[in-house]
Amino acid sequence: MPKVEAISFLNRDGLRLYGTLHTPGEPNRTLPAVILLSPGVKMRVGPGRLYVPLTELLTSLGYTVLRFDFFGLGDSEGDLSEVMLADVYNHIEVGRYVEDTLCAIEWLATTHGFKRFMLGGLCGGAVTAVLAAQRDSRVESLLSLGMNVTLSSNAVTPAKYLTRAELDSRRQKYFRRLLEPKSWWRFLTFQSEYGVIWRSMLRMFVRDKPAAQQPVSEEQRGNANPLFPPAYLAFLARGGRALLVFAEKDRLYSEYEEKFVAFYREQLEPYQLQIRQHIIPYANHVLTFHEWQREMLEHCRAWLQLPEIRHGSPA
Amino acid sequence: MKEIPFFFSRDDIQLFGFAHLPTETTTKTAFVFSHPFAEEKLWAQRVFVSCARALARRGHPVLRFDYTGAGDSAGDLAETTLETHIADLTAAVEQVAKLAPHAKQIGLVGLRFGATLAAILAERRCIDRLADGPLVLWDPICDGASYFQELLRSNLTTQLAVYGRVVDNRERLQERLRNGERVNVDGYEIGKALFESCAIPSLLPPGQQRVHNGPVLVVQIAANEKQKDRDDLQALASAYPQGRFARVNEQPFWREIRQFYGRAERLEATTLEWLEQIDA
Repeated sequence: MPKVEAISFLNRDGLRLYGTLHTPGEPNRTLPAVILLSPGVKMRVGPGRLYVPLTELLTSLGYTVLRFDFFGLGDSEGDLSEVMLADVYNHIEVGRYVEDTLCAIEWLATTHGFKRFMLGGLCGGAVTAVLAAQRDSRVESLLSLGMNVTLSSNAVTPAKYLTRAELDSRRQKYFRRLLEPKSWWRFLTFQSEYGVIWRSMLRMFVRDKPAAQQPVSEEQRGNANPLFPPAYLAFLARGGRALLVFAEKDRLYSEYEEKFVAFYREQLEPYQLQIRQHIIPYANHVLTFHEWQREMLEHCRAWLQLPEIRHGSPA
Repeated sequence: MKEIPFFFSRDDIQLFGFAHLPTETTTKTAFVFSHPFAEEKLWAQRVFVSCARALARRGHPVLRFDYTGAGDSAGDLAETTLETHIADLTAAVEQVAKLAPHAKQIGLVGLRFGATLAAILAERRCIDRLADGPLVLWDPICDGASYFQELLRSNLTTQLAVYGRVVDNRERLQERLRNGERVNVDGYEIGKALFESCAIPSLLPPGQQRVHNGPVLVVQIAANEKQKDRDDLQALASAYPQGRFARVNEQPFWREIRQFYGRAERLEATTLEWLEQIDA
């Protein structure tokens, strides 16, 4: 039977961070310890308790799992000064919680003797994992749910940065709303996003390659996170392995393809064997429906059982 | 202040608790915080933590805990009922009694569905130290039927967003629940027993005379000045021998809004002022 205990440790500013440590029935310290990093401002269980079944899967495969709250969030000490959520998200995306993550790694190494680590997380947790992996070579693998390659605060006018896939999706929605009086009321009373409507309709007449194969314009790429590409490529260059699970209806997927992969296709080419990617059809950002969660878990299970993930090997 | 995260048992379920204890031994009222339902708990987490710390700094021992199938607690939400929630809350009250043996009484602070559970437990008068203790109800859910319809709406919204149409309409979702299937609301699966025991209009009937003897603060959380005072919450406050209604302007921090809500200052201040008054 897996065991769970409440734990705490100090971050570099002396703030106490709280969490839970989940150990399998027979702890195996040769496997990497897994640290699940909180997404956004949600606490350590993740939206819809997404991290709970993921933790159960990991412990059933012999992995030890740490979930903890970053400073200022969940149960942990500290306060955040931001007023707007987008600003909190933005600070996470540029690495606010990298130091807390490194402290968690160090705590597991010193108190439990782990030498190898896997960082996992959704959205903000996923990008924190990449930025922390760049700083600590003991991180061998990333289990990413919805990798976020953009910045939130730059998205004050999010319409400006919509990817092609998002514009196509918007157009379908506009068509569905053609018979709704409320939509026409918004349109005629200057409440609609006319720029988005225009750009989404224009795509019907302007032929271009399928969305994911062609980079977006520099302007649309304007909210891309400049810290992500160097961190991710450095992690891959030293042999790191990544499982990237995306939700089909999540903007993060099209952003990853159009604002990162399309620009770095050549640099990514040598590392294709280190990256596994899966897209869950119809799923939304937080994998609300449990059938989507089950699909995510099945792909994680297969990846977590690979010898190179369990025991490590040069890429 | 000392903070202790720990697990405790309710029957065979491991519940997660987090105690905020004043450094000095105290006879002041100890409190148990009762969190709202499903994802509302996560959005409201930081407001709960900051208010619990504020109470502990005033010398009150406080226990926050996670209900079965919520947060870090074990169990499956779809298997819970109104009674299992009440049993969880009772177990948490017993825990705070152990953590703060000198506290003269125990009070409850709840938000939304958590406030409703607190009011239901207090009304049963089954725990001595709770009988005359203060009860703080932040925006309690009185009409369980409407509330669960609201929860089902989140399922419909998700269907619309991802499939572009409603595949299972509201009637179908309710039928599935009645047939014993699970239905997803905002990422959480609920089951027949919880739905049937909680999705009732008379979950916390506002007009019904209450027997809880302790002081009660019923707070309406209004997003702006224009929002009218709620008749049901005023009636609920009046139904208690020592009930008081208050209204504070705060954004609905239990759901996703544009602001980051690390603390609900006006709500916290109103609650602490009221506690000072009843202490006096």
